Amino acid sequence: MNRLLGLVLLAGRRLAGGLLLLVGASFLIYFTIRSAPGDAIDAITPMGTPPEVKEKLAADFGLDQPPLAGYVTWLGRSATGDFGESLVFAPGEQVMTIARPAFKLTLLVSGGALLLCLFLATALAVVLGEPSPRQQLLTGALYFVTAAPAFVAAIFFSQGMNAFVRRFVEDAGYDTPPWYPIPIYSESVMPYFFAGIVLVAGDGLFMDMLNTVRAEILAVRNAQFIAAIRAKGASTLPHTFRNLVVPFVSAFAARLPVVLGGVVIVEYVFTLDGAGYLLLEASKQRDFPVVVGLSVLFTLAIIVMNLLADVVRAAVDPREVARNG
Amino acid sequence: MGRFSRIGLWLSGAIVLVVVLLGVVAPFIPYEPADAVSYDRVLEVPSVSHVLGTDEQGRDIAMRLVKGTEAFFLPGLMAAGIAVLVGALAGAVAGYATGPVRAVIVGALQLLDTLPRLVFIILVCTIRNPSVTLIAFVAGVLFIPTVAAVIRRKVEALGSEDYILAHIAHGFHSVWVILYHILWLQCWPIMVRQAAYVFGYVLFVETGLSYLGDYGVQEPDPSWGNMVAQVRSLPPDAPWPWLVPAAAIVLTISGFLAFGNLAARRGEEAIR
Repeated sequence: MNRLLGLVLLAGRRLAGGLLLLVGASFLIYFTIRSAPGDAIDAITPMGTPPEVKEKLAADFGLDQPPLAGYVTWLGRSATGDFGESLVFAPGEQVMTIARPAFKLTLLVSGGALLLCLFLATALAVVLGEPSPRQQLLTGALYFVTAAPAFVAAIFFSQGMNAFVRRFVEDAGYDTPPWYPIPIYSESVMPYFFAGIVLVAGDGLFMDMLNTVRAEILAVRNAQFIAAIRAKGASTLPHTFRNLVVPFVSAFAARLPVVLGGVVIVEYVFTLDGAGYLLLEASKQRDFPVVVGLSVLFTLAIIVMNLLADVVRAAVDPREVARNG
Repeated sequence: MGRFSRIGLWLSGAIVLVVVLLGVVAPFIPYEPADAVSYDRVLEVPSVSHVLGTDEQGRDIAMRLVKGTEAFFLPGLMAAGIAVLVGALAGAVAGYATGPVRAVIVGALQLLDTLPRLVFIILVCTIRNPSVTLIAFVAGVLFIPTVAAVIRRKVEALGSEDYILAHIAHGFHSVWVILYHILWLQCWPIMVRQAAYVFGYVLFVETGLSYLGDYGVQEPDPSWGNMVAQVRSLPPDAPWPWLVPAAAIVLTISGFLAFGNLAARRGEEAIR
């Protein structure tokens, strides 16, 4: 009972902290908008926007008020999920309506990629075991290969895949898959899968994950309580697993921002309908409400992920509650 | 430090040295992108006169590769400087100070840390006139919390060490102890590692945005990113115009990251 209370208190405090962070981050985003050179409204709308649209936009974003009052207006609207209407990308459409499905896809791809990365890193860490000088050739080579930015990895991957399909499918007289040649738009799920692979292989994510996971596994495996459990003849696996949940959840949450950055350009390379593609297209067309709405959503995703990670950690490990309570 | 690490340090050091030399020399090489175009030598394979071949417009790839370092070299140094200097100071204060000063700095750092970097950079590019300098400045600021976090941990660990307490007991000013004894003498390996990391990030963002084509470096000015972008229109049997800059990006980023890591490890061993 006491433990549950502690958990609830911790969750409540984390939630309050997360809200505070969100308010602060939205403040930074809003003042980045306000700092636009010259007349903010001219700087953020495409050329030739009709004056009545500009007026509505200025009212939506509180640009016709002094900065602080404008911020409160904008925050109040945004808090209800109302980020205004798209200007160019899908004129007249609510930002949330176009952003929601795109954002779901992006979270699915990034989350899937992170899980895959965690799984592969754990598998490799278990196989490698204790570090030895002989492994350094392997880890050195892996280090080098996975340091490529995700978008370069995506280009290598798509070119390699295209060459492969051309050589072994097209030239052999079979039907080519719908996603071939790669930067083509298709309904197929394969490009999403490819994007996941590329995200794991790029941005140094895998080696970073491997190093963390490996250190944690070794630390638990060499801990004294594991030796004691083994001496008593019990299975060490459940205890090892439970002690690894906390560092694994931390490793997962801490890398979400990296993946959410990588996914933006990768989606563009594979022409996926995700939030990153939407963000870049909207930014290119100067569709300002969409860009701001998505920026807030990306920030929100990171804050929520950290919040969830904190609560999961506290639920699994009572020491977390004691430490923070 | 093992044999492989030492070899890695030399190899990555060589890459860093080459990139730095190119970055320093490139601005002094005269190059007019428009004059380099020549449609009678399009997509030539590497030869003696064009060491790395020519691209779709008959421009020498090696020359564009060298000139392309200009796009990220100084911005990368600037971002690394901002992130490491401000981050180290903020981290030291957060690790040493108490009360409201600490609370404010920790809060500000946490706030900066929640912003998704690339998304925020794109937001800034949408609003302001996008230049690589602006992108690098924003990247540098967004990396302050990352640097501050590691420095803070180090300062907190060292703050209770006997010799640091002894310095303060001897009447050294605590600002001097932080700046010299902790940051300068103990934290330089951390700063080297972080600086290399931030530099690599700027290279990634610059080439990534130049690849996309709307922000970053615009054709006909060379950037490794917009050189890679030729992949969209190249015939499959002539991959070198994108393969060469793509390889350069991978080599440079992994070289800088590895050098930062290995040099820092060596430094940490030397301090201990």
